Amino acid sequence: MSLFDKIFNYQIISRLDETGSFALTSQERTWLRTMLGHPEAEAAFAPETLVKLRHLLGMEEAPDMDDAASSGMDGDVRDIIIEKARSRQRQVYHPLLRPLRRIMMASGGVRLTVRLKHGGIKENQGGLPCKLEYNMAKREWYLLWYDTRNRSLMSTRLHHIAAVEPSELAPERFQELTERVAKLMEARKKQAVIGILPNYNSELSRILYAFSCFEKSVSYDETADQYRIHVTYLADESEFLLSRIRFLGLRVRVLEGGHLKHRMRQTASWALARYQTEDA
Amino acid sequence: MAKVWRANIFPFAPHAVLDTMKQSWHSFDMLGGTIVARESFDKEIQFLRLVALAGGAYNRQQFASRLGISVHTLDKTVRSLKQTLSLSSPHLTAEQSTELTEGLRYNYYESADPLLLFLYRAKSLKESESIRLTLLVSSLQERELTAKDLQDICSEQMPADVPAPDEKTIRGDLKYLEEIGVIARSGESRPYRYRAANDLIDQLTDDELLDLFDFVDVTANTQVPSVQGYLLRDTLKKVLRGRGIHALAADTHRYKYHYHSRILDEAHLYTIFNAVRQRKKLHFVYLAPRKGLNYASKNTNPLYEKESRNVTTILPLRVVFDHQYGRWYLIGYNDRTGIAKFRMEGLTQLEEGESVPEAEFENKLGRVLEQLENSWVTDTLRTLKVVARFYNPDHRSGVNFVRERVQAQGQWGKITEESEESFVFEIQVNGIYEIKPWLRSFGSSCEVLEPAWLRKEFISDWKEIASYYEPVRQNF
Repeated sequence: MSLFDKIFNYQIISRLDETGSFALTSQERTWLRTMLGHPEAEAAFAPETLVKLRHLLGMEEAPDMDDAASSGMDGDVRDIIIEKARSRQRQVYHPLLRPLRRIMMASGGVRLTVRLKHGGIKENQGGLPCKLEYNMAKREWYLLWYDTRNRSLMSTRLHHIAAVEPSELAPERFQELTERVAKLMEARKKQAVIGILPNYNSELSRILYAFSCFEKSVSYDETADQYRIHVTYLADESEFLLSRIRFLGLRVRVLEGGHLKHRMRQTASWALARYQTEDA
Repeated sequence: MAKVWRANIFPFAPHAVLDTMKQSWHSFDMLGGTIVARESFDKEIQFLRLVALAGGAYNRQQFASRLGISVHTLDKTVRSLKQTLSLSSPHLTAEQSTELTEGLRYNYYESADPLLLFLYRAKSLKESESIRLTLLVSSLQERELTAKDLQDICSEQMPADVPAPDEKTIRGDLKYLEEIGVIARSGESRPYRYRAANDLIDQLTDDELLDLFDFVDVTANTQVPSVQGYLLRDTLKKVLRGRGIHALAADTHRYKYHYHSRILDEAHLYTIFNAVRQRKKLHFVYLAPRKGLNYASKNTNPLYEKESRNVTTILPLRVVFDHQYGRWYLIGYNDRTGIAKFRMEGLTQLEEGESVPEAEFENKLGRVLEQLENSWVTDTLRTLKVVARFYNPDHRSGVNFVRERVQAQGQWGKITEESEESFVFEIQVNGIYEIKPWLRSFGSSCEVLEPAWLRKEFISDWKEIASYYEPVRQNF
């Protein structure tokens, strides 16, 4: 089995596209079968669809199952993978994903019942659902939506949504809200420049990996032998960005970004205050 | 002298760069005295990683030298890229194409499409073969046909400048397509009839298909391995479009803080998996990422190949995926050093070697797993106890995100005592190098208690960091 199979070649794929044809390989079906073994698959499908899928895939003969049988081993690649330093997975799938995505596809609005942090609920929160967002760091689903009453962009954990009801939106209203959301999103974008201390240039690869989960570009100043990472992030992501900067410790330094610099200065002085009994 | 050449390096249809660069990047095998070109994707992977991680950082000279190619070759490549600018890739969304003109800057706010997936579409293929295979697959979409029928279709429909295939070629193609599961043969007696194996698509209603698309999208984006999932997602996305399901259908989910380059390393995953299953050793040339993003030039003349490079041989046992950086490691056993660890991004020229007896494999696997048990990631230094006090945030905020994060990410560590303001976390861990960044990422919410020397290190690090942000004093 190779991921570089010629059937995946881009010329073949674009030619198949032109004729509206499809090519599904055993390795894709094997992958799907493995993933459908996950208990959370139950939340992703109507029960009869799941039965149907399992039936369709069960009839499939996977070429590598024969090899696996002859060597007396399970053919699941995940058997050799050890995942380290992962956040405990709170959820892969959430039951609200299906209804919400259908409302979004129909360009509709929502009425949400939200659980409050201190207990209690808030009913009848009207708005436009924008995106279903999975936070890889927290391993949890969020709904990004526009709250029409408070005229603000909200990010709510699906876990905190007690109920969802669709609501009608006139096409002009939908268009208007979508444009407003796009503007709000744009306005929330911020930029920062993070410099790598030249002493740590030998760790460049590690440092760039740590920032590879952000929208970013890199520049290199030859005279100073310094790499700079230009990060674009949304205002509400600054805490996560800061945790990455702290993660890297002495290796990096915020060069541009007033809020980030301020927070780093504050963190360092508060952290030192924790240790003050010994050495302040 | 900062970046002089930033915006104009990647105005390209990404496939074209691979084709152009690959011409000089084939590796060669000696087979029965003749030299056979064997397609290797090492350079493409390294090229894409360099662009994805450090996009925008280098000028032409620097870029070429880091890729181990001449500036002339790079220029040639870029020229051909500019020519193909108008033929922008149909696989990219509008947002991604725009982003490409500024380098490979991934805008995850816009789309969940994995940009780097096109690496896996790079297998080179003769024009005539791609036309023929496509014709076969598309002819079999809705009907069953024999090899003879298909040969007739080919002679009728293949372009005039491409020679019509003979029966042997068609049979070879059908055998290949059947092996990879794209078509299925029906009936027991000759002549066999074939049909596209599209049940998974054809048997599902629109609504079911949408659920399947979502499931594949979510799973490919949140689990490893993911490349086959992304390939399947691509196909399902087209099926949705073909059925006239709303254009926004594929664009409702997004994933934040995703390590996009992780799918490049999956290229080696199945080679390693196959070797592990067969208890075979692996030979490879390791380019240590520590030396920077610098890939020494590889001479394509087979006579010079491997002469100046050290070939490493290990018995592969496991791979580790590190969620902190989105990086993969190969873990193996080497008779000289015992446990051996390699970043997967540094593996090139992977080749299977001889197999070892089952008992030997089991023995070494057992030893390695034991050593890795207390590794935060892969560190196998001496195990020690780390104790830290974490401070709860102001309780008015309602959520104790410090405790939540320690519980979610603290691996096998335990919370041993707790008060209103703080709690103590204890863990037995191999060395402190890998856990230290995690502890530090909590900032002032974490105070290291033990070992004492680590506590001292934290004090000195925070002092140093504080000095980075001291206001500049003005001399009046």
